[in-house]
Amino acid sequence: MFYRETGQFKSKYKEELAAFPLAEDKVGIAILLVIAYVFIPIFGIPGLSFEFTMGAIMIPVFIFTITTLGLNILLGFAGQISLGTGAFMGVGAYSCYKIMTIFPDLNIIICVILSGFVTAIVGMIFGLPSLKIKGFYLIVATLAAQFFLEWAFIRVAWLYNYNDSGGIEGTNKEMFGLIVSGPQSDALTRYFIVLTLLVLLTWLASNVIRGRIGRSWMMIRDMDIAAELIGVRPLTAKLSAFAFSSFYIGISGALMVFFWLGAAEVESFDVSHSFTYLFMVIIGGLGSITGSYMGAALVWVIPVLIKEIGKTAFGFDAFVMENFSIIFLGVAIVVILIVEPHGLARLWQITKQKLRLWPFPY
Amino acid sequence: MSEKNSVIMEVKNINLRFGGVIAIQNVSFNIFEGEIRAIIGPNGAGKSSMLNVINGFYHPQEGEVWFNGEKRPSMEPYQIAKTGIARTFQNIALFKGMTTIENVMTGRQLKMNKNFFWQMLRYGPAIDEEVQHRRRCEEIIDFLEINHIRKTPVGSLPYGLQKRVELARALAMDPKILLLDEPMAGMNVEEKQDMSRFIIDVNEEFGTTIALIEHDMAVVMDLADRVVVLDYGKLLADGTPAEVQSNQAVIDAYLGVPH
Ligand SMILES: Nc1ncnc2c1ncn2[C@@H]1O[C@H](COP(=O)(O)OP(=O)(O)OP(=O)(O)O)[C@@H](O)[C@H]1O
Ligand SMILES: [Mg+2]
Repeated sequence: MFYRETGQFKSKYKEELAAFPLAEDKVGIAILLVIAYVFIPIFGIPGLSFEFTMGAIMIPVFIFTITTLGLNILLGFAGQISLGTGAFMGVGAYSCYKIMTIFPDLNIIICVILSGFVTAIVGMIFGLPSLKIKGFYLIVATLAAQFFLEWAFIRVAWLYNYNDSGGIEGTNKEMFGLIVSGPQSDALTRYFIVLTLLVLLTWLASNVIRGRIGRSWMMIRDMDIAAELIGVRPLTAKLSAFAFSSFYIGISGALMVFFWLGAAEVESFDVSHSFTYLFMVIIGGLGSITGSYMGAALVWVIPVLIKEIGKTAFGFDAFVMENFSIIFLGVAIVVILIVEPHGLARLWQITKQKLRLWPFPY
Repeated sequence: MSEKNSVIMEVKNINLRFGGVIAIQNVSFNIFEGEIRAIIGPNGAGKSSMLNVINGFYHPQEGEVWFNGEKRPSMEPYQIAKTGIARTFQNIALFKGMTTIENVMTGRQLKMNKNFFWQMLRYGPAIDEEVQHRRRCEEIIDFLEINHIRKTPVGSLPYGLQKRVELARALAMDPKILLLDEPMAGMNVEEKQDMSRFIIDVNEEFGTTIALIEHDMAVVMDLADRVVVLDYGKLLADGTPAEVQSNQAVIDAYLGVPH
């Protein structure tokens, strides 16, 4: 009986409508925040080097969690599928690059957020077909968006300032006298920035999905005809979902380049990445914020760890381990989907349910 | 019950075709404010289609819909919802991924208007609005005695309760007219009695005008103030339950047919 609802009566609806009505959940979140803000920066992950912990695990996982949240808003909450996530991250990255070129003195966090807005607008435009088509046809339309954008990232040289490499690259950016982005920035600084944005964006997303707008998305997802007869305008609901989702995806794309990779080319935004993000959402659990975290972490960390262990413990070369981790991930996806089609989030729910009754079986 | 002589809704000479199929043929009738109006008829008579015309989901080729004394222009369903028409569906159309309370809250959608900014913060006006509407939804949930399933995902509820949640969702819209498409289909006798009681209570306590489709004649005779009979898309009879029941054309076409 570690986890219990009984005995925690809500005297006001307002309390019940809070983000985490259960005391145990509040404690859990507080513990996670302390781990993320204090323990990992001080102690790292046991057995892994600090550099590896930050650069190969924590920062990318946080960034891809933002991506997964974004895609989950669209797919899990609004029921609109997209295979253009990779390219939408590209929109975020390239627009951040252009904004930084045009306004060199603008705070980089503001640049990142503005690039989220640019991506939201682009996402809304490419979301227009969803007003007429559904399911398989929508997949094809978003795939077309993916390829069109990839083409633009190569052909429109203006996007990468006509440089010879054809890619975009971050320069040192300061904030309050501290280098926060670029080659000379400290991993820990970037870690805190990405973490803080993730926490904020998670909070905003959980607010939106529990309110009027989030409900309008789920109504369209579950039964679009009834939604319309109740007064939801499909145009508003669908396009706002595309916009909000793309906002997250765009921010994650900008963060990926300017707070993690340092530089990128079109390959970082190709369709195979779109699939990876889709796996993160599906494995984590459609329509679940917790699941977005779990999916992004699992799909990213397992291959990285396999590669690392293979290299250091067994001396396999990187190419072999690359393939091995792809196979492993594929098998993991199939197994998880067979065991629990609703993803890791549902497994977590079931565990919580058990903890509620523990030590009694029923 | 309010006075039953002012017309709130009137359909005039409705003709609705789907390709070669004539679903409704030149049908006219009216609905008084505050009454329970039944629409009956054999399978395929055009009853559901009639409700779909009233709430704007189908656009008839000919005919007019008058609401609140005005001819209604052609509107999209979400606009018609705003005018105060709510409905339930013959095949339950709940939002399966949501709980009972969330489903009921969707009925308040149109009455909420705080923008994205406040929604994101879920603070100030947005949360006040949420609390205010939540209160009304909890009242409706109490009223329909579905308290015990508030937090249950509706997909896992038995059929009878799903029908009731759907009624709760429609009521949450505070509708002027409530359209019920076979609210008791597939229910056992006890569930039917409960549902009849709720329909009467809604009508009497909230003063809601109700138009319902029902196959069970005993129920119709009990509940309805007036009855429209459709057959093959045509209006066969219109009157009080007693008048309709003794109408020879109705007896021939409908009451003779076993259901
Ligand atoms: N969307 C549609 N497309 C084509 N035909 C339709 C459509 N909706 C209804 N019809 C046809 O219109 C006629 C009337 O259908 P409707 O559903 O209104 O009947 P009903 O009286 O509600 O019957 P039931 O008692 O079986 O529910 C039927 O012949 C049906 O096939
Ligand atoms: Mg019908």
